[in-house]
Amino acid sequence: MVMLLVTELFKWWYEAGLRQRIQKIALTLDGTIDYFSMDLLLKTLFAPFRQISAGKVDGSLDVKFRALIDKLTSRAIGAVVRLILLLVGGVTIVLQIVLDLIVIIVWLALPILPIIGLILWLKGVSF
Amino acid sequence: MQSTFYNTKSVRTAKARLGVRLTSPLRLILLLVGSLLLIGGIALVVVHVPAGWFVASLAAVPFMLYAWYAGDLKYPPVSTNSVDGLLSGDILGQLGDTPTPKDLAKAAASVRGGQFFAIRFGVTRSFLNDITSDKPEDTEKVWQHALTIQQKTGSVHISGAVLTVALLECFPDYESLLAHMHLDLDDLYAGVRWYEMLRLLSEKTKEPRRTGGIARDFSFGYIPMLKRFGTNLSEQAGNLQTFESASHKKAVDQLLETFGNGGRQNAALVGEAGTGKTTIVHAFADQILDAKAKLPASLKFRQVIMLDSASLIAAAPGRGELEGLVMQVLGEAYDAKNIIICLDNAQLFFEEGVGSVDLTNVLLPILEAGGLRVILTMDEQRYLQISQRNPALINALNRISVAPASRDETIAIMQNQLIFTEYQRKVTYMYQSLAEAYRLSERYVHDLAMPGRALKLLESAASYGEDGFITGNSVQQAIEQTMNIKVGVANDEDEREKLLNLEDLIHERMINQTRAVQVVSDALRRARAGVRNENRPIGTFLFLGPTGVGKTELSKALADVYFGGEDRMIRLDMNEYVRPEDVSRLIADGADDPASLTAQAMKQPFSVVLLDEIEKAHPQVLTTLLQLLDEGILRDIKNREVSFRDAIVIATSNAGADRIREYIERGMKLQEFEQQFVDELINSNQFRPEFLNRFDEIVIFRPLEKPELLQVIDLILAGINKQLALQKISIHVADDAKELLVEKGYDPRLGARPMRRVVQRAVENLVAKQMLSGSVEPGSVIEITHDQVSQLLESESNS
Repeated sequence: MVMLLVTELFKWWYEAGLRQRIQKIALTLDGTIDYFSMDLLLKTLFAPFRQISAGKVDGSLDVKFRALIDKLTSRAIGAVVRLILLLVGGVTIVLQIVLDLIVIIVWLALPILPIIGLILWLKGVSF
Repeated sequence: MQSTFYNTKSVRTAKARLGVRLTSPLRLILLLVGSLLLIGGIALVVVHVPAGWFVASLAAVPFMLYAWYAGDLKYPPVSTNSVDGLLSGDILGQLGDTPTPKDLAKAAASVRGGQFFAIRFGVTRSFLNDITSDKPEDTEKVWQHALTIQQKTGSVHISGAVLTVALLECFPDYESLLAHMHLDLDDLYAGVRWYEMLRLLSEKTKEPRRTGGIARDFSFGYIPMLKRFGTNLSEQAGNLQTFESASHKKAVDQLLETFGNGGRQNAALVGEAGTGKTTIVHAFADQILDAKAKLPASLKFRQVIMLDSASLIAAAPGRGELEGLVMQVLGEAYDAKNIIICLDNAQLFFEEGVGSVDLTNVLLPILEAGGLRVILTMDEQRYLQISQRNPALINALNRISVAPASRDETIAIMQNQLIFTEYQRKVTYMYQSLAEAYRLSERYVHDLAMPGRALKLLESAASYGEDGFITGNSVQQAIEQTMNIKVGVANDEDEREKLLNLEDLIHERMINQTRAVQVVSDALRRARAGVRNENRPIGTFLFLGPTGVGKTELSKALADVYFGGEDRMIRLDMNEYVRPEDVSRLIADGADDPASLTAQAMKQPFSVVLLDEIEKAHPQVLTTLLQLLDEGILRDIKNREVSFRDAIVIATSNAGADRIREYIERGMKLQEFEQQFVDELINSNQFRPEFLNRFDEIVIFRPLEKPELLQVIDLILAGINKQLALQKISIHVADDAKELLVEKGYDPRLGARPMRRVVQRAVENLVAKQMLSGSVEPGSVIEITHDQVSQLLESESNS
């Protein structure tokens, strides 16, 4: 029975357990992407910021021209703010991916760690 | 045919058993040992001891075991369709190789599903233990039941809840057992579904919600005015997953379709108060904020803001200011590009009144143009009123009807909603309280539709819990206290005594008419013993007989003795309902006419309804009353069902009084001419047969004879003595004086009625004179003789 359970533990570790771990990581990544609104930022990169000066303006050519400049400014400000946020979000996601990769490596290596430890001990490795 | 094979050697069984053995102290030890090995090992390596590598690496073993428990052993996934493959891990792990039903009961009662049934249904551990056998050969039957229940209820596992119901089903006389608990098998299945729903809900709440993130609203405008004059429903959304009934889901889908496609971007949710229109708007707000929902891009992340009419009116008191303010607010919503305006109770924006204002001129062009998304909610009546006043407005709206929830839906909504009430009020609702809340609210709560009316009652029942548990009895108490009615079966010793001696109690205040007293007493006893037809009034009686024989008195006595006072009588003089248009007065809304029959019954459903001189009412009025007599229901002018199912309905009539007298004078007994007399009433067109047939009993009152009138005199004198008791004085009337009073007061046409006047004139006047002259002192007894009475009556008749 003990052997059966040990086999089951290893089986779970590299199959369902690993799958669960990856799903969890994917979920966290998804959460970060949502938190920084990455897809929305990309889709609306050049949209006017907060609808400032976004409305239609009727009037003389001069008025229309000024409205156009205002709108362009609003879009430019929007793009800058969004780019900054995209950058912050991007860096966070990259860091998170690195961390998650480490977690997966540790997960994969954990069952064989005692063997590695034994070898290091027998070889007398020390600082 | 599904296999009931229970494999004790399967991998899943082994895992489940290990999972059960890894109790929380053991798991804590695992974590501690792992941490110590890791820290100790690293410390050894740091001090140049190579064995430290191995020590540290050994930490992997307890950590792996811990991770395995959390990811697999705790809830081993369903593997096969056999019992060991479907049984939830926490139960499977507790069972030996040959479990008895008692073992199953013990295991089921120790896990969540079993505890759920103990709390919500009263099926406790000891109860299960008492009804289960300890023979291993009986277990197979339990497995078979469990597999069937699991399939029928759509449960993922054979959970503790499923197993509890299976064990109950295996008890030979389970139906009477359940009946004792006010339950049936369907209720238990509903309980399993409820448990499963809560389990899924708790799993769902663990999933993080995606609502667009910090930059979601960068592309949309600022909304300072909307924040001031409205409530952002989207900000409240997503706190907890809520249950959506089928009718609500349909309405939400219709809203999504309306706003997701082209056309006029507005929707009017029309339905009775309490059907959940506002809840639908909340559910819609919740859904469009969900990043994972499949929605048109033009709807995703839009926010629903409910405008507050009161704060708008308060902010713009001047004439014309309000229109300007509303235009500004709506303009802001339009410019922001992501706002859906909700006008809850939309009639407040389309009619002049306290707290409401007619903004049709401002809103109609906006609704017609369809540029700004608007949701309106209003009840059917208001919708019809507005459509009458302003058809153009109604034409501009996309109507979505919201129907009241069915029983199953209402129960499911209650199951979901009570989580909040339980948390806030620190109480626990039993299933029986939910079923009772539905049943009683359907009958007694009139101002709301389902599910609102049941939820309202369920909430008020929270104050009547027993040790924090809200039972069916708590709900009965809540409605009895708030509406002053009696809904439960008579349990109280006093009440039982009263019911068994009802005839004697009534006879304390009225003489003879034994048959009439008996039929109404029987009806009440049937009602309070719970053996009557619940879909009719407690009793419907037609009292026939000459005036002054006790017909009204019996109604009053009944109201007093049983319903708690003469004021518990709804009395209608039907000679005031002689025209066909009087029907509308009979069923008028309480706000317009509090004296209408329906308004009084709504206020006081537990009472005697006395329809005096029924023969004088217009045939149309009688036709209106047919449904009341038949089903105990009368619809008021607003089409609300008003229940008379807790009332005794008594109609009285003098029709054929002379014939009754004739029969009696001929020496016939009541029973001998009863049927013939009723036939005569029908033949003479005084009553239609379909009307008479609606009564449970037609009771004929016979004229009183002189010996009975002497008893009536005694009753009247007892009443006078009761009044004088305050002044510590009593009267005693000589027997010959009483006979004189009867002689003077008796009128064959008017019965005992003139007698009270005669007694008042003779006795009360005598007492008053003696008291004023100071000849009577507290504690004394005034003796009234024949001569005194005779003198006084003569002098009064002379004068």
